[in-house]
Amino acid sequence: MSGRFFIIALHEGGRFREETWELVSFARRCGAADPVMMVLSDEGAIEQLADDLAHRTGLDVVGLAGSHLREYSAEAYIRTLVPFFRDAPGEIRIAAAHTSRGIDFAPQLSAGIDACCITAVEDAGEGTFIRSLHHGRFRAEVRADRAKVVVTVLPGAFAPDDIAPGNPGKVRIVPAGDVTLSTRSRGTSAPVHANMGLTRAEVIVSAGRGLGSGENIRLVTMLSSLFPKSALGATRAVCDQGWLDYSHQIGSTGNTVSPRLYLACGISGAVQHLAGMKNSGMIVAVNTDPDAAIFRVAHYGIVEDLTTFIPLLVDRCLKRE
Amino acid sequence: MKILVCVKQVYDSPETLVFDESAGKVTFGPHTIFRMNHYDEYALEEALRIRERLGDAVVDALSVGPPRVGKTIRRALELGADQGIHVQTCDETCLSAFERAHFIAAASRGRGYDLVLAGVMAEDDMESQVGPLLAAVLGYGCATGVIFEELSADGREIAVEREVEGGSRECLSLALPCVLTIQSGINTPRYPALSHVLRTRSAELECIEASSLAVPPPTQSLVRILPPAQGRQGEIIEGTAAEKADKLIHILREHSLLPR
Repeated sequence: MSGRFFIIALHEGGRFREETWELVSFARRCGAADPVMMVLSDEGAIEQLADDLAHRTGLDVVGLAGSHLREYSAEAYIRTLVPFFRDAPGEIRIAAAHTSRGIDFAPQLSAGIDACCITAVEDAGEGTFIRSLHHGRFRAEVRADRAKVVVTVLPGAFAPDDIAPGNPGKVRIVPAGDVTLSTRSRGTSAPVHANMGLTRAEVIVSAGRGLGSGENIRLVTMLSSLFPKSALGATRAVCDQGWLDYSHQIGSTGNTVSPRLYLACGISGAVQHLAGMKNSGMIVAVNTDPDAAIFRVAHYGIVEDLTTFIPLLVDRCLKRE
Repeated sequence: MKILVCVKQVYDSPETLVFDESAGKVTFGPHTIFRMNHYDEYALEEALRIRERLGDAVVDALSVGPPRVGKTIRRALELGADQGIHVQTCDETCLSAFERAHFIAAASRGRGYDLVLAGVMAEDDMESQVGPLLAAVLGYGCATGVIFEELSADGREIAVEREVEGGSRECLSLALPCVLTIQSGINTPRYPALSHVLRTRSAELECIEASSLAVPPPTQSLVRILPPAQGRQGEIIEGTAAEKADKLIHILREHSLLPR
């Protein structure tokens, strides 16, 4: 697949999300040496944002401006991007980060421009896109059967592009017209469950659904007591079950941590969880399932049943002291 | 008020999947157990709570898939949905989110749904697409990853909070009709009441043949299924359970992660 390649740069509070630079690497992996950067905002902020992009990337930038774009909403993005791309001829690829906003607007954008939409992409093949499925056990190679394709790219799947301080790209600001939205944005609230204890801990012992029951939380508590400066973490599923409260949640919608040691107990390794802990210094995973995706990010893996292994580990540790 | 909940049937555990690497295909093994997608359980529960708050709402549950999917629709009735709709496909061919969204749109058009709820994603494909695509096809507004909702008193608008990175919440209001994809943890799904279980035994599902619905051609094709990418070449610690424990303790002490 050739044709034009656009990257939609998501931003908040005047700053671009870090995934933006990873998307440049993704575009190059897809064979697009010079993708076009796109940014959407209101008239007051668009020039600064577009200039910033042009300097950071050296790539040409299209800035779409309208008062309806002051705050993010899927509707505002779609009603700006659909008219821009709908009648554009030829093959077009549009990439955004697979974040809560990227997956909020990308499918609707694709529907509005008769495009194919592929989400959580983590690699590209020969004119194809590759994404994980079935809890990360397999990958699917998918081909788009439309001239236009919208993809969301998994954060962390590509290294950020080396930003060359060369000549800035050309900036073009396009007025997006007057759009009256039926969605009313009412701002963003602070994190409900931020946990400073987790972000400061040197060791995190983390619980997944593989623990089997809320009662077994005592096992990870027991294990974490071996380590000074430790804290308890959990997957979303564990918090949903009520085994631990949401302040312990690690992952894309929870806390992001990078302790010296991350001990993953009964965690399968879904991409949303990995997003919150994969930069940990050392990752040790204990799981009964030898094919669990967590073993592919772990430095050390142990295939054992937690209910017997943790008491044994704690026992042998205390005996040696 | 009429509420539609889209439910997907998924396998209970990925360990029962069978991978044929040379053919690039994954099939369900003989011991596969199917159940409702967890995220859809939260969507259904939220719909039931809205019905309880309003008193005069109707909740329909719809699923697309082969005959086995009927069991998951019945589960939705057992949990309290009023009516079950099955868009029946003839075989196990894997449908894309685009095809599912168009089947649901075609089956639900003209039924006057004010609110459509679905899970934020399916546990198997994790595409997060059916809800927003359905909204686009129906011309409805859409909010994804919803962790809180509150209908306005006049029932024409719904205030929602979307969960975003790091646990922050984006607050917005949408005009009805709209589609919401529901994030897990918004509520605690109930267990079926015995009266609903008994009622469901004699309940008839409305069955619509997928082949009778006009939907556009798929936007993508699956080239093949691949094994997972080679990740970090980590070390699997071998031995008896006690040996594994001792080796791990040794490694952690070597790295000064565990006090000696």
